[in-house]
Amino acid sequence: MGKKKRGHPDVEDILSRPWCYYCERDFEDLKLLISHQKAKHFKCDRCGRRLNTAGGLSVHMNQVHKESLSHVENALPNRQGLDVEIFGMEGIPEDVSQQHNQRIIQNFYQAQADRYAATGNPPPGQGGKNPPKKLKMENPDDIKKRLAEHRARIAAQKAAGGAPTHTPPVGAPDGQSPAQSASPGTFANTPVSLPRARPDSLLPPQYPQGGFNYPPSNLPSRPGSNLPAPSGLPPRPGQPGFPGYSPNASTVDELVASASSGQQGDHIDQMIRDLERGEAPAKSATPGAPAAAEEPAPEKKSKKDKDKNVRMVYDDELSPEERMALMPRYAFVPQAV
Amino acid sequence: MAPTTQFELAQPPNDAISSLVFAPDAPTRLLVSSWDKNVYLYDTHTTSDNGDAEGGVSHGTLLKTYEHRAPVMDVCFGADDNEAFTAGMDWEVRRVDLESGEQTTVSKHTAPVRRVVYSKAHSLLISASWDSTLHIHNPSNPSLTPLTVTLPGKPHAMAASPSKVIVAMTSRLVHIYDLATLAGALEAQTGSAPQPWQQRESSLKFLTRAVAAMPSDGGYATSSIEGRVAVEWFDASAESQARKYAFKCHRQTDNAAAAGTTDVVYPVNALAFHPVHGNTFASAGGDATVALWDAEAKRRMKVYQKFADSVAAVAFSADGRFLAVAVCPGFETGMEDYSGEGRTKIVIRELGENEAKGKGAK
Repeated sequence: MGKKKRGHPDVEDILSRPWCYYCERDFEDLKLLISHQKAKHFKCDRCGRRLNTAGGLSVHMNQVHKESLSHVENALPNRQGLDVEIFGMEGIPEDVSQQHNQRIIQNFYQAQADRYAATGNPPPGQGGKNPPKKLKMENPDDIKKRLAEHRARIAAQKAAGGAPTHTPPVGAPDGQSPAQSASPGTFANTPVSLPRARPDSLLPPQYPQGGFNYPPSNLPSRPGSNLPAPSGLPPRPGQPGFPGYSPNASTVDELVASASSGQQGDHIDQMIRDLERGEAPAKSATPGAPAAAEEPAPEKKSKKDKDKNVRMVYDDELSPEERMALMPRYAFVPQAV
Repeated sequence: MAPTTQFELAQPPNDAISSLVFAPDAPTRLLVSSWDKNVYLYDTHTTSDNGDAEGGVSHGTLLKTYEHRAPVMDVCFGADDNEAFTAGMDWEVRRVDLESGEQTTVSKHTAPVRRVVYSKAHSLLISASWDSTLHIHNPSNPSLTPLTVTLPGKPHAMAASPSKVIVAMTSRLVHIYDLATLAGALEAQTGSAPQPWQQRESSLKFLTRAVAAMPSDGGYATSSIEGRVAVEWFDASAESQARKYAFKCHRQTDNAAAAGTTDVVYPVNALAFHPVHGNTFASAGGDATVALWDAEAKRRMKVYQKFADSVAAVAFSADGRFLAVAVCPGFETGMEDYSGEGRTKIVIRELGENEAKGKGAK
């Protein structure tokens, strides 16, 4: 059983990806980034013309449509300004760039930690600290012998009438250390009793730092939806301000989170994403379930709703109109006919 | 003057707006019903010189107002651009001759009338009242005794597609009636009300707020007080029903609260399908935004910049070039007092050529 390379890129790869100043999205190459910017941020909503920069769009709006551009479309709230001239990766202010890199790095390590916790694999290079996993081979005779011993012990206990004391598990006859019993081969059949977290949570699991003897019962079966995106970044949160989000996340993260709820549904971006993943463009026609944050079926989301603080502006069995109709201001008193 | 994409109408109603609708044949003729007991008729694109105090910010002309006895809950156009029907808090459905201003009572319910729709193809006027009935008239043949259809709940929203009318009620009930069947039953004069063509339960878990029908006659969209919209198809076959979906919208995240984040959920007050690009519909929410959606591609196409107050109603003009947005304060749970006075506005937005065109089909 050799180590599997899952194709997670390392930090340098991710840091070198071009990204968009306006929405913090990253791309495979500069060409894609520029086409994204033209489609999402520099497109004239009157005639659909795609300009190269926000300034260009502003001039276009002025001259062609006699309107003034007040902000960049689809941008994060604090990036809507027209004062910075952005083209691809050019023109990004130094502080914003640093902030971005920090965010990427933080997310990367969080994703990595998540992955290690989810798979139970030690980080590369540290695996040596644990004793090498040995494949235990028992021949049928041994097993029968142990079963017989075990039965004898149970029978003895029953005869004695005492409370059942600890019986060594069948798989560990010779008093293995807990660390050894936690080797993947053994705990694969231990029932998973504690789901670690909702699959949609990004919160890093509480696992002991440094050591790798995770209690087997805490190991969830690998949640499919928690797999980090191929880019190595954690999956984009589907919902602004979703519950498990670590409170110390950088502001940009939150902004991206909230903005992505609206922007992931975009067709062009979806296509670009798909192309990056090497998927056939045809696939983009069907909206991916987590892709469109505002679009999923209510059943899937209802679980989330419960643990989120939700305040409904209007929550009543009577309609607002009926409430208003009760007010003296609007009430109608029918005259006695 | 350079064309502006978005402008406010001069002389808006004095109180909250309940509904607005464009004329079937004229793209700048707009009727607005208000809680101030009036119905307003505007021409959205002639600018009057008088009363233009704010330096040309206001546009459009108020052509006429039609006073009612009580707040007007809904309005629709009739057979032509000069006929309108209104739903009143005073239990009455009225016909208004927009030219002469003459009003005649068409029907009397036993509770406020919430919605009216008119189907030109079947020349049927349908009114839905909180007395849990529908009244069905043929305005072109007043000799026919109107048909009364008893509903299992209070109706809150109603919309007509070319062949059906969808009535959304309390307890998440949705009844769909076939217009031809209704017309036949009215013609037959037997007084027995036809059964609904389909009875459904709303896909949304909360009180239905609005319904809009696809101009293609394929299906409809509903919205609830809990920031959600559902899109469904009439066709009862399993594969068509499998296509239905619902999604969240008109919500805001409030990060101010110390303990985590709170999602503020606004009601979706109104829905309107685009008459030309039939897959596109607009949703208007209590969060003061209007969004355009592609029903087929399940994509959001656009969200407009926030308006000053909650959006109570939206309407597309018949040619699809204009979007009228009714802005007034939203009614929230627990409000003791409410007034839309001074904060009620009508915003007309001219849509770009491809602004409402879906991207789905390529």
